[in-house]
Order: sequence, then structure tokens, then C-alpha cells
Amino acid sequence: MSTKTYKKFENAGSGDLPDKMTVYQDCMNTFNESPVNPKRCRVLISRLLRLLSNGVAFPENEATALFFSISKLFQHQNDALRQAVYLAIKELSGMSEDVLMATSSIMKDVQNGSDLVKPNAIRALTYVLDESTAFSAERLLKSAVVSKHPSISSAALCTSYNLLPISEVTIKRFANEAQEGISDLKQFPSIPYDEHSLLVGEFYPNSTYMAQYHAIGLIYQLKKNDKMAILKLASQLANSNTLKNQLAKVQVVKLIDDLLARDPQLYRQFEEILLSWLTNKHEAVQIEVAKVISTFSLRNPRLVSPERFSYIVTTLQSLLAVPRVSTRFAVLRILNKIAMVSPEKIAVCNAELETLINDSNRNISTYAITILLKTGNASNIASLISRITRFIHDVSDDFKIIIIDAIRTLSLNFPQEWKSIVKFLIDVLKNSEGGLKFKNTVVEAIIDIVSFIPESKDMILESLCDFIEDCEFNEILVRILHLLGKEGPYTSRPSLYVRHIYNRVVLENSIIRSAAVVALAKFALTKNDPTLKESIVSLLNRIANDQDDEVRDRATIALRLIEFSEDDSTTVATELIEPKYFYDLPSLEAKLNNYLNTNDDSFKTPFDASSVRRFTEDEVKAIELKRKQEQALTGTTEGTSEPGAKKAKSESTTDNKGFAGPSVGEDEQELLNTKYAEKLLAIDQFKEYGKIINSSKPVSLTESEAEFVVNGIKHIFKDNIVFQFNITNTLPNVALDNVSVTCTQEDPEASQLEELFTISIDRLLPTDTGSCYVSFQKNDELVIEGFLNNLLFTTKDVDPNTNEPYEGEEGFQDEYEIDSLYISAGDYVTGSFIGNFDAAFDELPAEEIAVFNIQENLSLQEVIDKLVINSNCLPLNNTQFAPNDSNSHTLKLFGKSVLSGSKVALLIKMIRSSKGIALKVQGKGEDATLCSDLVNGLM
Amino acid sequence: MGNYFSSMFDRLWGANKELRILILGLDGAGKTTILYRLQIGEVVTTKPTIGFNVETLSYKNLKLNVWDLGGQTSIRPYWRCYYADTAAVIFVVDSTDKDRMNTASQELHLMLQEEELQDAALLVFANKQDQPGALSASEVSKELNLVELKDRSWSIVASSAIKGEGITEGLDWLIDVIKDEQL
Repeated sequence: MSTKTYKKFENAGSGDLPDKMTVYQDCMNTFNESPVNPKRCRVLISRLLRLLSNGVAFPENEATALFFSISKLFQHQNDALRQAVYLAIKELSGMSEDVLMATSSIMKDVQNGSDLVKPNAIRALTYVLDESTAFSAERLLKSAVVSKHPSISSAALCTSYNLLPISEVTIKRFANEAQEGISDLKQFPSIPYDEHSLLVGEFYPNSTYMAQYHAIGLIYQLKKNDKMAILKLASQLANSNTLKNQLAKVQVVKLIDDLLARDPQLYRQFEEILLSWLTNKHEAVQIEVAKVISTFSLRNPRLVSPERFSYIVTTLQSLLAVPRVSTRFAVLRILNKIAMVSPEKIAVCNAELETLINDSNRNISTYAITILLKTGNASNIASLISRITRFIHDVSDDFKIIIIDAIRTLSLNFPQEWKSIVKFLIDVLKNSEGGLKFKNTVVEAIIDIVSFIPESKDMILESLCDFIEDCEFNEILVRILHLLGKEGPYTSRPSLYVRHIYNRVVLENSIIRSAAVVALAKFALTKNDPTLKESIVSLLNRIANDQDDEVRDRATIALRLIEFSEDDSTTVATELIEPKYFYDLPSLEAKLNNYLNTNDDSFKTPFDASSVRRFTEDEVKAIELKRKQEQALTGTTEGTSEPGAKKAKSESTTDNKGFAGPSVGEDEQELLNTKYAEKLLAIDQFKEYGKIINSSKPVSLTESEAEFVVNGIKHIFKDNIVFQFNITNTLPNVALDNVSVTCTQEDPEASQLEELFTISIDRLLPTDTGSCYVSFQKNDELVIEGFLNNLLFTTKDVDPNTNEPYEGEEGFQDEYEIDSLYISAGDYVTGSFIGNFDAAFDELPAEEIAVFNIQENLSLQEVIDKLVINSNCLPLNNTQFAPNDSNSHTLKLFGKSVLSGSKVALLIKMIRSSKGIALKVQGKGEDATLCSDLVNGLM
Repeated sequence: MGNYFSSMFDRLWGANKELRILILGLDGAGKTTILYRLQIGEVVTTKPTIGFNVETLSYKNLKLNVWDLGGQTSIRPYWRCYYADTAAVIFVVDSTDKDRMNTASQELHLMLQEEELQDAALLVFANKQDQPGALSASEVSKELNLVELKDRSWSIVASSAIKGEGITEGLDWLIDVIKDEQL
């Protein structure tokens, strides 16, 4: 090796990576040498590891060759080299298939190696074992778990944890040993009369007791399905003094969090201990406790008293002043989550947050600002925005985008403050430096404001006109031109915009020119102003000579359309320029894919777009608003506790989607519904029913841990109703044959529905899910009824070898009662957006008033969630969040009939008292029957 | 000073160089037992080797680097990764396993065709002689077609790793051959 390359390698700080091929060749040559030179091999391995950790990958054949040459280093008994070898094996295991060749050697080290290499060897086991070999390592691993040496015990616990998915049977037998790992306080063996051990005693703690943390993690994984066991573990650990390790304590807090998620009532039992840990000497423990209690109280506001909550906030507040950056950041994250739902609760921290705006760490300052923007109220928005104006020019684009997003939510929450916000956004757009992504975010925020706050239209459009005079991004220009074309014609001075748009035609490139042409055409087509139209026609005539094909074509077609519109045959023009509806994009995509894939007649039959779901503009707005409101909410549920608990939680939310709140995972729901609808319409018997008018969300009809998990979906057609039951067989070793559901009307005499037929499921193997359908004829337009349901099936034992029922098995007929399914007025309604709720409410003719009293002990928020789900309407003006500091609330809901499209609006006043919650529902609508059914069937 | 001379001496006799010796053979032939019989002189309880065991041992002033590679079907393809620089191969045969003599023969001849092993000496242990019904060394030799081997020093020794019989005799022969041919 020349001095030059030598230098290059050694200069680690330079950031240059060593050359991949040189390292490869050096490794191959040196590792295969005999005798082995341990020092040099170690240096080479460290170089190799540096490459790998920087993301450099080797092709499989090279990785394999490397692995085999490294495996030859096992012949040398140098501990330091052996450690490096283990690190390399760990990294290469992902790239080379043959790491199992190291198994015997690793096992030997686990058994006989020195204390120095044992932990490494044990950790490397994870990468080489499979189910059969894990069994043979059981004894070794078990004795390592109970080793007195803390590093060995930790390594063994980690390896067991990681082997759990590979060989559950083996690891399950470690529960007792792991339990011992918690209570046994392991210390490093002291070596008498050794200089090194003196150092350890004096300057370092003798042990970090990390094994406790690892042991808790393993025990949780082993017992997570056994609530009582976890409860016992958590209360034992919480009340004793055995835990010395801070991560172990954090882990116990997470265990408690997991328990609370399963049963909120346990909170009483743990409250004292959790609160006492708020003063723990470790910040991590304090933060974890604050996080658990605050997220818990957001979900269960009744269980945590306001005084307790403010105690949490005070703790967090004091942590904001600590010097450790990571602590401050973690605290800000928690505060941010609280701010998303109840910003008023952390208003006390505002002073600290404001000082943090000037924090030298940009992550922290940006977070502080976004929180302040959330806690902001109508009175201090203006001053906040002026602070940000000073700040925003100093930070990088990524942070700017976060801030702009926060401001965008702010504008939706405080529509009345639009003026200062718009001024700020326009200022940022025009004057601040920034890339496309940032500017695009600003424009998106502005577009949001235009579409949800109609009053702002004039001011925004005019400022945008100014902006496009000097804008360097084509994408943004095109978007703005589109917006001008869409909104401009309805403003008071359309001619102003025409001038600005035409300027673009004169000055810009062809992409922008074509967009401008379309925008111009819209002015001519939608505005019945002859002079304006005439001047636009003459402008377009001029453009028709443009040198670019696309621009010319667009101008020509625009002229033709304008010509047509004069003959009153306006349909083509309006469809093109001002579509009345938009396609449901996911479903359109699926259909198009399907069309391309099932090409039977080389595309002779044209694509049929009529079956794709369409939305009117109001509906699109409703969906968008809903999505935006959700974004704010989902922020509160993310990132809770450890992976295992998190998974369990997300599972439970999917199961209860029907009840869990109006807004969890709506996007996925939409997709799922589209999928269900497609599956349904593919069945012959349903083809003649026509289009599905509405599909409900899945309603759980059983407990999520029942033997058969069933949820029901109501599909409403013009003359029919179809129930879809999704049935999951959770029984191991039992198959269900001929699964069907019998539905009996609650009141058969008065029923308006006539059962037509049932489509059963032929066979459900263990863990399978299938759908069974029951179809009804509808005799009245609006049918509201309840059904008692029974699951019918034949059980057959399954042969575990073939996963099929034993031959000749006749099986037993059986029945299983599931919950009732109700068709309510809400099933005929879909959420709809309206800009001005109050005006629309007054205008609607039919009225119905009902009063309800809820005796159950529910919070206002729970009642609101229930109302939103039952009515299927869209909550407007941010009324879907209950105030935490007041006992009364007014909820505004707006929707539309799926049958006739008639509007319906609900104004619900609720007051909470000691006796329960009183509701006064005032419903107004175009259709009197729908309105009264909806109001009376609400609770 | 004495040290200096002895290392000079070692270099003369090539003792500083490690000799690589592979122990190969079908699974259950007794390779791992032979390895540890050589190293610590005792019978150890073994598990099927997944991968390999490697030990360094001194024998008659020579440093031997002995590799015992697993014999399971799934591991045999990897043998070739360890052929380079090999001075000798010890091929172990379970003399009682008459059904698989053919397989053993095939594996042996396949291995000896490898370029990297052209200069390696071959020692075959007809192992498990302590068991009833074991074939004798000459019978094993016939089954393995050893007479067909040309241009190679080879020998077959009847052995019992459990009782420790034949192992040293075989190794003595091997060391003599290596000293003659390669040092």
C-alpha cells in the first residue's frame, strides 16, 4: 500500500470513504493469509464496517466471499479480533446467505469463550439461528441469561427477544430466567489488584443494571397477551425498589400505558405511583410519565382531574429549561400533542415557549413556534405572526414548511383571522427566499384559505396576480393560473384578472401560456358579460397564432367552445371547463388498471367511466376538510409507547373503527369501501341492482376477541338493501362450512323489507375471513329498521397437516348470536360541506326538534363522536371538538341525502350536568321525512 | 539469545509456518470427535456441526491448523470455500455405514478433483472400528475406490476415535509425508 492510500484511509475525520474495491481486495488477501495477523485484520474489518455503515453494499457473491474469508479468522484466539469478526458477521448476515456456516464456531464461543467475547457471540447468534438450530442453542442461551455477568446476561436477553419471532416455542421456556434477570442486580466481576478495576470503581458506576431493562422487554413480549400477568408484573415493579436502571423504569411506565390502553379504569390504581415518578431523578422517566398521563387524559378526560393534569404541565414546563437539548425536544413533542387537542391546557408554558423561539437549535425553535401557533387564540395571533415574520427568513426550507403547515391549520381554526394570516403568507411568498417545495406549501395554504373562507377571495387573488408577475416556478404559476380561472370569474372585477393572465401569455414559456389560455377561456364561458367575452375572443384569436402547438390547440378549442356556448348548447363547454363532479381517484385508478389488464378485445369496447364513483364539488370539499381535520387528530395518537403496545393499539382501533371516533383512518376506510363495493358488484345477483348509493362503515357485531369476529356493512341501492357480513374464523383447528347469517326483523309485521336471498360462504379455514351477503327488497324509499342476527355454520375439525378438514367428517351444525344491525336515517345521509352554515340553516324549510337525555356517564367529546357517527354528517366550523373547560357545547352538522341530494342541517346544543347530558337537537332540511327521521333516530 | 536460536531453528524446519489440515467426511463419521481427540486427547460429547470447528495444535514441533467441517448435506457445498492452502485432507468414514459408502466415495473423488487440493496429501480414517460389523480398512479402501487415485500420497488407517486407536498412527504418516513433500 502506498503512503498516499494509507494516509487516505487513516484520515477518518476527512469524511472520505475508503475505496470499496481496495478494501475488498485487502480483506480477501489478508484474511486468507496464514498465520493470521490479528492487528491488521482488525483494522481491515473496521474499514469494512465503516463502508457498510455508510450504506455501501456488496453484491451477493462478494459478500459471500467476504463472509467466508472472515469466518477463517475463527482460527485465531485473539479476543479483540474475535469481537471485530462478530461485528462483521452481524453486518454481512443481511447480504450473504451462508452465515449459518459460523453457527458451530459461535456456539463454541458462547460456551467457552472469554467474558469479553461472550456477549458478542451471543448477540451474533440472532443472525445465524433458525427454528431448528435455536432449539439446540436453548441450554446455552438459558445459562447465559442467568449469568452473573451483566453484559452476558443483557446480550442473552436481547438475543432471546430477537429470536422470539423465529422460535417462539424455545424462548417461551425462558420466562422464569428472565424474571430473575429483573430482580438480580448484576455487577461486573471485580478483578482484585488490577489497575483497571480501580478505575471502574472510582469513575464509573459499577453496573448500569441494563439487564433489568432487557429482561422487562423480553417478559413483556412473552406475556403480552396475558393482561393479568402484565398487570401483576407492572404493579410489582412499580411498588418495589428493585429497579435501578432508568430505561427499565421507563419500560415499566410503558407497561402501565399498555395496560391503561386495554382498561382505562386501571388508572386509579397507578395514578399515585405515576405521579410520584414525575419527580424521579431521571429526566427520561419524568418525560415518559408525563407523556403517558397526558395522552391518556386526552383519550379519557374524565379520569384525570384538571389539577393532576396541570401538575403534569408544570413538570413539563420546568423541564423546558434544562440544558439537555434532547430533553427539551422530547418535552416539546409532548406539549405539541397536547396542543393539538386542547391548546388551552398548556397556555401556561407560553412564556417558556416564546423564549425557545430563539433557541440555537432550529428543531426546537420551530417546534416552539408551531406549538405557539396552536395555543394561539384570536387575540394574540397577530403578534405571533409578526414574531414569525422576523424569524422565518433565518431558517431553512424544511422548517419553513412546518411553520407554514401550522399556520394553515390555524387559518382553518380561526377563519375570522384570515386577514393577518393571508397578509403574512403573501409576504412570505413574495419576499422570502426558498425552494419550490416551500413556495408550493405556501401556495397550497393560500388555496386552502380561498376555498374555505370565501370572504378572502378578492384580496388573495389580487395579491397572487402581483406574485405571478415575478415567479420563477412553472408549477406554481400553473396552479395559480388555474385558481384564477376557477375563482376569478366570480369576483367583482374579472377584467382585472384577465389583464394579468394575458400578460403571462405575452411573457412566459409555452407551459404557462397553455395554462393561461384555459384560464382565459373560463372567464369567457362562465361570465355572461358580452364585452368581456368579446375581448377575450379577440385575445384568443391572437393566441391562435402562437408558435407552440399546445398553446395553439388550446386557444382554438377554447374559441370553438365559446362559439358553441353562444348557440346555447352549453353542455360540452361547461362539462369541460366547469365539471360538476369529480371522479373518485383511487377507484378510477383501480378501474383503469383493471381495464388495461383484462384486455379481451384489443380495447374495442371503450372504458366505461360511469361505474366510477363521482363527487360533486361540495362533496370533494367535505372530504378534503374532513381529511385536514383528521390530520390534526391523528397526530395525537401516534408514537405511543413501545412497538408491541403500539401494534396492539392500532389493531384495536381498526377493530372498533365504527366506534372509535369519527375520524380514525378515514382514508383507508374510503379505499376499503371502494374495494368492498367492487367485490359486491362483481357478484351476478347484485348486478341488476344498479349503483350502490351508499355504504356504511363496518359496524362490529361481536367482541373483537370472540371466537368469530363479525362486522357488518350496509349497502343501500335504489330498490334494495344488502347486508355484508365479514366473518373471521379465529378458532384454531376448526373449519366452518356453509357459513350464513339469518336476519330477523325486530318487528316483522310492520317491516318494509322483504328478504330475497342469502349468499353464504362455502368454507372458512382457521384465521380466514370471508363475506356473506343478505339481500332485501325495499318497499319504501326510506326504510329504518333493526335486525336480530344469528350466525349459522357447520364446524369441522381441521387436519393440521393438510390444513383441510378430515375427510368424511360430517361436522356439527351450530349457531352463534351476534349483535343487532340497525338501518338508521344516518345511512341515507352523507357529509357535505357548506361555507356558511348559519345562513344555510335558516334557509332550509322543514324543521324538527327533539330533546334527549343521556344518563350514561359520558364526556361531551364521546357524545359528539357518537353523534357524528350516527348522523353520518360532516361537523363544521370546528365544532367536533368539545371544549375542556366548559359544560356546554354546540355541534353543527351538515349533510345530504344520498337518494335525493336534499340538504339537511343539524344544530345540536348540549349541556352537561350532574344528572347526565341533555341534548337539544334542531334539525332542518329540504326533505321533512328525512329530517325528522334523522333527528329522532339520533341517539 | 536462546530464544533467537530456537526461532532460527524453527524457521529452518518450517515450524513457523502453520499447516492447514481439513477433516472432511459425511455427517456422523466422527470428525469432531477426532479433532478434539487430537487437541485435548479426550472424547467430548458432540452435536452435529453446523459450520465448522477450527483448532490449532502442536504436533511434533509443527503447528497444525485443523479444520473440521460439518458433514451434513446442506453444508457439504461450502467445503470448497476452505480448500485454499490446504496441506492435507483427513477423510473420515463411518466403517459401519455400508449404505452410504457410495455417497462417501463420490464426495471424496469430487473433492479431490478440485484444483486447490491437487498437492494435498490424503489420509482416510476407517473410523468406528470399535463398533460390531465395521468394515476393515481394506474393505473400506475398496468401497472408496482408493486404488484409482494417481499422483497423490494417500493412506488408509483403521481407527476408533472413541478408544483413541489408529489416530496417532495415521497422523504420524501424514506429517512424514508432508515433511517430505512440502517442507
